Amino acid sequence: MGTAPQEDSNPQVPVLDALGPSGAYRTHNRQQILDVTGAPLAEMSLAPALFVNRTMKALRGAAPLPAPERAAALARAGELFRTATLGGFSPQEYEQAVTRVSGLPVNVVRTATRTCAERVGQSYRSVLFARPDGAVSDWRDPLARTGQALWTRRGEVLAVHVPGNHPGTHGFWPEALALGYRVAVRPSAREPFTAHRLVLALREAGFGDGQVALLPSGHEAADAILRGADLAYGGDEIIRQYADDPGVLSLRPGRSKILLTAGTDWREHLDMIVDSVVRHGGTGCVNATAVLLEGDPAPLAGAVAERLAALPSLPPSDEKACLPVQSAKSARALETYVLERARGTRAWLGGTGFVDELGDGSAVLRAAVHQLDAADAPQLGAEMPFPCVWIAPWTRADGIAPLRDTLVLTAVTEDEALIDALVAEPTISNLHIGSHATHWHRPGLPHDGHLGEFLMRSKTLVRV
Amino acid sequence: MARAELSPLDLPHDAEPDPDELVRAAMRWHFTPATGSPFWLRRAASLEFDPLTDVKGYDDLTLFPNVANELRDVPAADLVPRGYGEHPDIVGVFESGGTTGAPKRVVCPRDWLDKLVDWSNANLDVHGFPRGADWLGITPSGPHIVGEIFRRSAVTHGRYGFQVDLDPRWVKRLIAEGRGAQANAYAEHVVDQAAHILRTQPIGVMTVTPPLLERIAQREDLVELVNEKVRAIRWGGTQMDADTEQLYRTDIFPDTVLYGHYGSTMILGIAGQRHGTPLGEPCVFDTFSPYITFQVVDPHSGAPVAYGRRGQVVMHHVSKALLLPNNLERDTAIRVAAPDGRIGDSAAGIAPVERFEDEAVIEGVY
Repeated sequence: MGTAPQEDSNPQVPVLDALGPSGAYRTHNRQQILDVTGAPLAEMSLAPALFVNRTMKALRGAAPLPAPERAAALARAGELFRTATLGGFSPQEYEQAVTRVSGLPVNVVRTATRTCAERVGQSYRSVLFARPDGAVSDWRDPLARTGQALWTRRGEVLAVHVPGNHPGTHGFWPEALALGYRVAVRPSAREPFTAHRLVLALREAGFGDGQVALLPSGHEAADAILRGADLAYGGDEIIRQYADDPGVLSLRPGRSKILLTAGTDWREHLDMIVDSVVRHGGTGCVNATAVLLEGDPAPLAGAVAERLAALPSLPPSDEKACLPVQSAKSARALETYVLERARGTRAWLGGTGFVDELGDGSAVLRAAVHQLDAADAPQLGAEMPFPCVWIAPWTRADGIAPLRDTLVLTAVTEDEALIDALVAEPTISNLHIGSHATHWHRPGLPHDGHLGEFLMRSKTLVRV
Repeated sequence: MARAELSPLDLPHDAEPDPDELVRAAMRWHFTPATGSPFWLRRAASLEFDPLTDVKGYDDLTLFPNVANELRDVPAADLVPRGYGEHPDIVGVFESGGTTGAPKRVVCPRDWLDKLVDWSNANLDVHGFPRGADWLGITPSGPHIVGEIFRRSAVTHGRYGFQVDLDPRWVKRLIAEGRGAQANAYAEHVVDQAAHILRTQPIGVMTVTPPLLERIAQREDLVELVNEKVRAIRWGGTQMDADTEQLYRTDIFPDTVLYGHYGSTMILGIAGQRHGTPLGEPCVFDTFSPYITFQVVDPHSGAPVAYGRRGQVVMHHVSKALLLPNNLERDTAIRVAAPDGRIGDSAAGIAPVERFEDEAVIEGVY
């Protein structure tokens, strides 16, 4: 997106400050945050590595809040995130800002605010779903007298490098605060408003300046965040660089899919399929990237294309908007890429282009529907930040190979042997059986495993 | 050469010769067979102009091609002006960093280093560096000129110079090869050595690179030692952004003078931070004009950018010791007016030339 370091600051726009151990920290080195039309909307302070290192040290030096206070603060933070004016932004102003820079339809952003607030508010509860049945959280628990597993942190400080694709991705990391971690968050330069608002909400709710920090940063300082933490989680370019490190949990592309086996009538599931592709503007990792059908995929592709073709091209702030918008430049770059990637496939929608310029420097990414020859076609996992779906035939002979590396798989089937195999497949993270959209989720359920599985371990405790 | 003592090339550091007269005198010196270096006398044949008649003043330096690349292979002895005689008093042969290929070499005669250090010492006085202090240098000792400048500064402005060696080429190579852990271990090894000197010696002045100063700032015991003993820190070698400098001045080393250098072995010297930069503003570097001058230009047209705009840094060195005009550096800077009466530009906000970044598409929504 259109962000560039700049020398001359613009007095007209608000500045998002870093939030360090002694409160807000405004730097001279700033990054401009542009909306999808290229208009400056805000500036973001970029913390230098020296400030990052001192903040990481302060986080390490702070003691976690007692558990009851953490639970109460998280509940308050969720409510503040949804309702309060934070950093000068009312909830509506915040949602407008996210809409303008992310290009996500305003209604998608509003839903994300509610979802995120709910997740944050419940995170003390939801994180406990990851705790083994045989473990307790407190060494004072009477069970420890006779020997018990104690669920403990793997470290003290967590670095969160948030991806900027969707504000909803912020709902998960506050679970680390629920567990007593101190957390340093690097906001995405694409959409820093959500991270800023959430850290402000958490601080106002009772997590002190020493418990959670916001460290907007360039590459070098962002690297210092990761190196100063015990564990890191997220999905930016720094995390990708360290993805093989066992102390790093890297968010991966979703490549979510839908499978419909013979004996199911796809017409009955068309609403679910279209919804899986396009809900949240089609920009999430939980949106369907591919649909596999046991049978001729052409009629299904035609029907999906017909439904998606009817969606209007509107600026993101329009109440009726449902498709994502980007700067015309990045939309065109994406178009060139996808058209090249789609070579050799049968296009049902968007085959000669899917960019609809709005005339103000931004462009709508209209939906694209392509039919593939076979389930092993290389396009099957090509996940794009807009409603872009690849529809392929699937046969029993293909087996589960084309269904691997999938965040959410919706399998519309009654074949229990197949379901057994899908459940057993380690690279399928979540399985929805029957007509549940790929984006279906409830607090407390894992997204890509429980975050708690990464953050915690069990140790034996026995007392006299 | 009967009147050589009056040449603008032989004046003391604070004489402020007329820049055009200096350039004309330098042309005579470097392009007269009796005094010029074998390198320039040979190179003159392939110039499309006559330096003796066509270069009438400072502005005509832009006639010269950038010969810096030729300094990778030329024998060092060919760079010494013959006018220095049979047994020239040479301080050393110095090399560029080698970031952009094989290192480039220059030769430094003693009269130049003395003049440069006299100028630099006067700057240190302006910035409030204590005289007679013991110095700690955490910089390369060689082959870059910074080590020689450190030693001369320490013994002329201060008392003793304590040094820790540093090999930036090895660090760059480790980083380029993805061996970050080894680069880290090496840097900590350097800081450990500096810590020992800081603990045992009455160090009053420290010369250090910004990345190593950041490492020192991460160790509470060393921060305390620096605040207890060190009255002034001279930094250089890489850049320090204004926000980092402000944190040092307000939070970490509040009672210590912080003074930056921006230099290059290829100009046989340094530019010094302008005194009195307000907190938070990028430091401005003034050159040892008219001997060392900068121009901040548009890299495509070669024309100067407007004051306050960013451009690429061109460096000129014109002295008895060396003629190296039109050396286009890898750095960009904001063009700032030079101090009154000084020729060339001052430079602020030094940054590496930006790499061209295409709009790349990455698959996957994260």
